[in-house]
Amino acid sequence: MVEPAASIERTGRTAVVHLRGDVVVGTASALDAVLRELRERDTLDEIRLDFTNVDRVDSAAVAVIEVARRGGGARIALERLDARQRALFDVLAPAERAPRGDAERIGMLEQIGGHIFAAGRSLRELGSLVVECVRVTARVIVRRARLPAGSVGTQVVQMGSNAVGIVSLLSFLLGMSFAFQGAVQLRHYGAGPFVADLVALGMVREFAPFVAAIIVAGRTGAAIAAELGTMRVDAELDAMNAMGISPVRYLVVPRLLALSITGPILTLMAMFVGIGGGMVVALMVLRMSPQAFWVRAADQLDLGDFAKGLAKSLAFAWIIGLAGAHLGLRARRGASGVGAAATRAVVAAVFGIICFDAAFEAALTLARQSR
Amino acid sequence: MSELLIECRDVSCGYDDTPVLEHVDLQVARGEILAILGPSGCGKSTLLRMLIGLLPPLAGDVQLFDRPLYAIDADERRELLHRAGVAFQQDALFESITLEDNVALPLRELARLREPVVREMVRMRLGLVGLAGLQQRLPNELSGGQRKRAALARASIMDPELIACDEPTAGLDPVVAAGIDELLLRFRDLLGMTLVVVSHELTSIRAIATRALMLANGGVHAAGTVDELAASRDPTVYEFFHARPAREARSA
Repeated sequence: MVEPAASIERTGRTAVVHLRGDVVVGTASALDAVLRELRERDTLDEIRLDFTNVDRVDSAAVAVIEVARRGGGARIALERLDARQRALFDVLAPAERAPRGDAERIGMLEQIGGHIFAAGRSLRELGSLVVECVRVTARVIVRRARLPAGSVGTQVVQMGSNAVGIVSLLSFLLGMSFAFQGAVQLRHYGAGPFVADLVALGMVREFAPFVAAIIVAGRTGAAIAAELGTMRVDAELDAMNAMGISPVRYLVVPRLLALSITGPILTLMAMFVGIGGGMVVALMVLRMSPQAFWVRAADQLDLGDFAKGLAKSLAFAWIIGLAGAHLGLRARRGASGVGAAATRAVVAAVFGIICFDAAFEAALTLARQSR
Repeated sequence: MSELLIECRDVSCGYDDTPVLEHVDLQVARGEILAILGPSGCGKSTLLRMLIGLLPPLAGDVQLFDRPLYAIDADERRELLHRAGVAFQQDALFESITLEDNVALPLRELARLREPVVREMVRMRLGLVGLAGLQQRLPNELSGGQRKRAALARASIMDPELIACDEPTAGLDPVVAAGIDELLLRFRDLLGMTLVVVSHELTSIRAIATRALMLANGGVHAAGTVDELAASRDPTVYEFFHARPAREARSA
C-alpha cells in the first residue's frame, strides 16, 4: 500500500489537490484531513481533486469525499479518474441517494413516547400472563388441566435444595446483626431482654420473608428468565406454540407452583434460623439464657405473625416467578438479550417485592386503625 | 499466471491429526473467482477454514499474499488477514447489535477513519448489497437472503483484496441466489476483489466461477474451468454435475 500524498495548488477561490499513491481504507484518513483543512478555511468556492497519479481507490475514498460534500461549503469536483475509479464512484453514488440511516434516528420526545408505549405494552403483557397463570393454576387445582409429570417436584428440588444453605447463613447473620443493634441500644435502658421480642417479631413479620425472597430472586428469578429467554432465542417457544402446547402451562406454571412451595418453606426456615442468630447474640452480649430467650420470643409471637410472614413469602414467590417468566418470554433475541432478561428479572423482582411489602404493611396498618 | 494471492503446496488438513484432505495443491490468482465444489462432507469448508487462517494444516505450506500463513507470528498473521474478508456459511452476524454496527465493526476496530466516514462507508456498502435503509435493524429482523447480504457487506467493508465465501447461496431461492451471484461479480469487477467461493450450487458456480476445484475422496479430484469440469466423463465429476450415475454418461 502506497501512502497517499497531496500537493495543493491554489488559484483564487479554487484549490486543486493533486493526489498521489493509494487512497484506500488504510490511507483515506490523509485525504480526509486535507479536505477538512481546506474546507475549514472557508475561503474556497471549489476544491478539485486530481486523480492522475492515484494508483488505487476504494470505497473509503468515496466515503471521505461524500462526507466532505455533504458537509457543505466549497464544491468538490473529481478530475482525471480512470475508468475503474469512475465506475466505483458511479455505482456507489446511487447508493448515496438511498434512505439514510440517520432518517431512522428519532428525537428525544419520540424516544420518551416510545418508552412509555413500550412500558404500557409490557404491563399489558404482564397482566395477560398473570391472568393466564391464575387460570391455568385454577384448572390444575380442579383437575381440568394437568402439568407435565414431575415438573413441579423437579423444580422444587432445583429451587429449594440449593438455596437452603445460603438462606440459612444469611438469616442467621441477619438475626445476629439485628440483635446486636437492638442489644446495644436496649441495654442502656435496662431493657436488654426485649431483644428477644425485637428479633422474633422482626424476623417473623419482616426480615425472614424478605431475605428469603431476595435470595430466591437472585438465584431462581434470574434462572427462570435466562432459561425461558434461551428457549425463546432458540425458537423453542415458537415450536411449542406451533405444536399447540401452551408455554405458560408447560413452563411457567410449574415454576410458579414450585416457587409457591419453596418460598414459604425457605421463609419458615429463615424465621427460626434468624431467631437462633439473635439468641446467640443475646447469650454472648446480654448473658441471656437460650431458654429465657425462646420463652420471651414465643410469648410475643402468635400464629397470625407466622401467617402474615408466610402470606408475604407466597406473594413474593409469585412476584419473582412472574417477573422471571415475563421478562424471559419477552427476551430480545441474541446472547445479550438473555443476559439482559436475567438482570432485569432480578431488578424487577426486588422492586416488586419492596413495593408489595410497603403496600401490604400500609394496608394492614390502615385496616388496624379503622377497626 | 498473474500474481498469486493463495498458494498451497502438498497440504493436508483436518481435525485432531485426522486428515480430511491430503496432498492438496491450490493456487488462486488475483482477480479470479475460484469455486471449491464437491459433495457434502468432502472437506470444502475445512479447506476454506485453512485458507483463512482458522485451521493450521497438518502438513504442507500455505502461502497467503506471498507470506507463509502459519509460519509467521500471530501479529503478522492478523495483519495479513486484514487484507482478506470472510463470509461464513451461518453468516455469523452479531445478534445483539444493529446491522450498521455489524458492518462497521472491522472499520472501527482496524481502520483509522472518522465516525462520519465509517457510517458513510457502511451506508454505501449496504446500498451496494441491496440493504439500503436497514442500518438500524437487528440481524434477527432480516430475512435469510438479507442476512447473507449483510454478511457479505461486513466481509467486504474493508475492500479486501480477497474474499472467502462459504456457501453464500445455500438455502436461498433462485432469485435471491442470483442476486448474491451478481453481487459477488460486482465485488470482483467493481472493487477488484478476488474470490474463493465454497459451494455446491451448480447454478451459482456456472454463473460466477472462472475456475473450479472439485474435492472428492480426500483430495482434489479435478480442476479446471467450469465448462471443462461439466464436460468431464470422470464418473465422480459427472455424477456431481449431472446429478445422475456415471453409467448414463457412458451410455449417452
